[in-house]
Amino acid sequence: MLKFIIPTIMLMPLTWLSKNNLIWINSTAHSLLISFSSLLLLNQLNDNSLNYSLMFFSDPLSTPLLILTMWLLPLMLMASQSHLIKEPPVRKKLYITMLITLQALLIMTFTATELILFYIMFEATLIPTLIIITRWGNQTERLNAGLYFLFYTLVGSLPLLVALVYLQNTTGSLNFLLLQHWAQPLSTSWSNIFMWLACMMAFLVKMPLYGLHLWLPKAHVEAPIAGSMVLAAVLLKLGGYGMLRITSMLNPLTEHMAYPFLMLSLWGMIMTSSICLRQTDLKSLIAYSSVSHMALVIAAILIQTPWSYMGATALMIAHGLTSSMLFCLANSNYERIHSRTMILARGLQVFLPLMATWWLLASLTNLALPPTINLIGELLVVMSVFSWSNPTILLMGTNIVITALYSLYMLIMTQRGKHTHHINNITPSFTREHALMALHIIPLLLLSLNPKIILGPLY
Amino acid sequence: EGSGGCRGSGVSPVSSHVTFRTRGPGPRWEDSGSLGAGDWDGKVSEIKKKIQSILPGGAWSPLCDTSHLPPEHSDVVIVGGGVVGLSVAYWLKRLEKQRGAIRVLVVERDHTYSQASTVLSVGGIRQQFSLPENIQLSLFSVEFLRNINEYLAVVDDPPLDLQFNPSGYLFLASEEGATIMENNVKVQRQEGAKVCLMSPEQLRKKFPWINTEGVALASYGLENEGWFDPWCLLQGLRRKVQSMGVLFCHGEVTRFVSSSNHMETASGEKVTLKRIHEVHGPGLEAPLVADPSGAYFRREGLGNNYLGGCSPSEEEEPDPENLEVDHDFFQEKVWPHLARRVPAFEALKVRRAWAGYYDYNTFDQNGVVGPHPLVVNMYFATGFSGHGLQQAPAVGRAVAEVMLEGRFQTINLSPFLFSRFYLGEKAQERCII
Repeated sequence: MLKFIIPTIMLMPLTWLSKNNLIWINSTAHSLLISFSSLLLLNQLNDNSLNYSLMFFSDPLSTPLLILTMWLLPLMLMASQSHLIKEPPVRKKLYITMLITLQALLIMTFTATELILFYIMFEATLIPTLIIITRWGNQTERLNAGLYFLFYTLVGSLPLLVALVYLQNTTGSLNFLLLQHWAQPLSTSWSNIFMWLACMMAFLVKMPLYGLHLWLPKAHVEAPIAGSMVLAAVLLKLGGYGMLRITSMLNPLTEHMAYPFLMLSLWGMIMTSSICLRQTDLKSLIAYSSVSHMALVIAAILIQTPWSYMGATALMIAHGLTSSMLFCLANSNYERIHSRTMILARGLQVFLPLMATWWLLASLTNLALPPTINLIGELLVVMSVFSWSNPTILLMGTNIVITALYSLYMLIMTQRGKHTHHINNITPSFTREHALMALHIIPLLLLSLNPKIILGPLY
Repeated sequence: EGSGGCRGSGVSPVSSHVTFRTRGPGPRWEDSGSLGAGDWDGKVSEIKKKIQSILPGGAWSPLCDTSHLPPEHSDVVIVGGGVVGLSVAYWLKRLEKQRGAIRVLVVERDHTYSQASTVLSVGGIRQQFSLPENIQLSLFSVEFLRNINEYLAVVDDPPLDLQFNPSGYLFLASEEGATIMENNVKVQRQEGAKVCLMSPEQLRKKFPWINTEGVALASYGLENEGWFDPWCLLQGLRRKVQSMGVLFCHGEVTRFVSSSNHMETASGEKVTLKRIHEVHGPGLEAPLVADPSGAYFRREGLGNNYLGGCSPSEEEEPDPENLEVDHDFFQEKVWPHLARRVPAFEALKVRRAWAGYYDYNTFDQNGVVGPHPLVVNMYFATGFSGHGLQQAPAVGRAVAEVMLEGRFQTINLSPFLFSRFYLGEKAQERCII
């Protein structure tokens, strides 16, 4: 694993020592090379995980997430070039450094063996993200957004620290590979209930669960584009990944404890999808759509069946790429019109036809069109939740319909219809933007040819 | 509160002995605690208020309170808070599909509206125009004014009383203008205005106080014409628009910060397009009678008062900075015409006079509505040359439609677009003030 971590850390001196006109080129090119090297991880030899050392390992669950994380860094750098044009070089380099730090911490989070290391990296990722949101966001509300983001996640994850220390004391080790096999069945006693809650709360806040989701629309909307991309694509999946890891130690208590959170996710899916239909702010719409998709993932993880785990992992990867692409598209709008209000930029298909193609593809994948991996994830989740309880098919079905409604609403509102007069002179799309969208959608479409790599360890 | 503290004791602050505010005959040392002399309850309530404002939902924010300043960013900035500006704001908020979709800011440099054309206007509304679009605008505006309490209702506020006097307009035409007047009336009837043509005998029979010398034909508006109180309309619009969430800013727009794009049109000509980024600026049934000479008058109230006036011709145009009334202008230009038309006016006495502004369009004396061809995010609604007040509701709706839908939907105002200036197509009214 050091073969990924050290090059990522060395990207920092690369940025600081590059000439001013080469910082973007250098960092983007080198991070792209590092992301290609991450594909080696796909070579999983046996049912056990690939163990690199005592501290790092990667198994079929963390591999796709890791590849996604490393793929996203060059994309984030490409997306940020435009809004940082007017900043002095030192500040640009600081921004890139924040992104690189975040990347290094995320790699270590996804590959940590020891759960305390996982926890430390999990918390440490909050700091660069907070700096990116509050320093480089656009509106004054970003301070409030940073506050919400920081404190929701922090307060949710403090009990996790206590629970992990308790586990260390009782079981003697927090090495995940050992704990999988040592896990004792948990009886339904009060202290076990609280331990279950302590373990899961951190990840439920991060996902986010419907009742604890207030930080997400604020943080996603106020963050600059790279912040939104990494939040939507990777940081939310940290919650899912953590839940997938930690539920192996919490059986059979999960069957009883999961009920309220399952109800919240099932109801929350529909609520947040409906809220999307009434949004006037484009980024806010995409943020609520993230909450809706992640609610499916939470429901899948809490019912703990093989199909649902496969669906959850597939959906995480698919949603990561789709959501990130939607945020890039919204940002390309914002850079031209300087407003996120949807009414003000309509009928763009006539002006920017190729960008309209990317909009169409992103909306179609967002509404889980066959044969994309979005559909595979959603279908597996719907089927497994149906077998858990038959009436949930009504809620899930309603959610799928409403998701289709708001995805198409977003597409039609921004692309079709009579254009407003004041977008007559918007600049045409840059090649960089087209490259960005292509690099999002090509992995997504290629994965539909071979989805088994993202279906996780239970495939 | 400083000197008020001594009020209860009746001792002035400069007296030689000082009085403390004590809570009762308690021991002295109780008052001189770490919180100073008394006022414990005040301090506790202050702390409680601070805690309550910091909790989520309170209005405290770590930045300085900027609620008195205009917002940093707004989707639409309306320059000028007169009746046309407020009407555009009202319709933008009314036609947006979701509440809060669009952020509107109205910049007005004088909140007393002392020099605004709206309040200095005579307040008449008529459908007797020659352009069908003008007639349609006035028809919708009159429907708006008649149902104003349905359009502009605000919860818990009293209903508006516009004092709409539907007494009609009476236009008098001499021999030369008679044919034009007939054609105009035909167009007006087609659009749905109720106007009737009267000969001089019918005129004498209906209004015996008129001297019909020199009048060949008269057109009298039977319904939906008259005058109303523009100040009431303005206040009603202001109150409604504030309740819909439009932000107001007291200031004057002095400059625009814009960026320009050099682009080529389809035929290869080079054009520079600009985009604005920042915005730094007149007996009981008597109608309003308009004489062919340009003088007009109407009844005002029920106490035998009349409002009359006249626009000066091009040569006599006074300095626009000066709103001082020129009394000689009345004596020489206005009064002779009024006295000739209505013999009873020979004995009239001037009680009060004021001067107002016309947004005068020197090209064809009709409004300019729609987008600017070169500045891409600027829209016009101006230049109505004396009939802006009566067309304000309909024009506001038209501009809001162009902004939100991209084209005129209810009333087609394409003759009033800016493009007519460089295409040379005048949208001229005929035989009108």
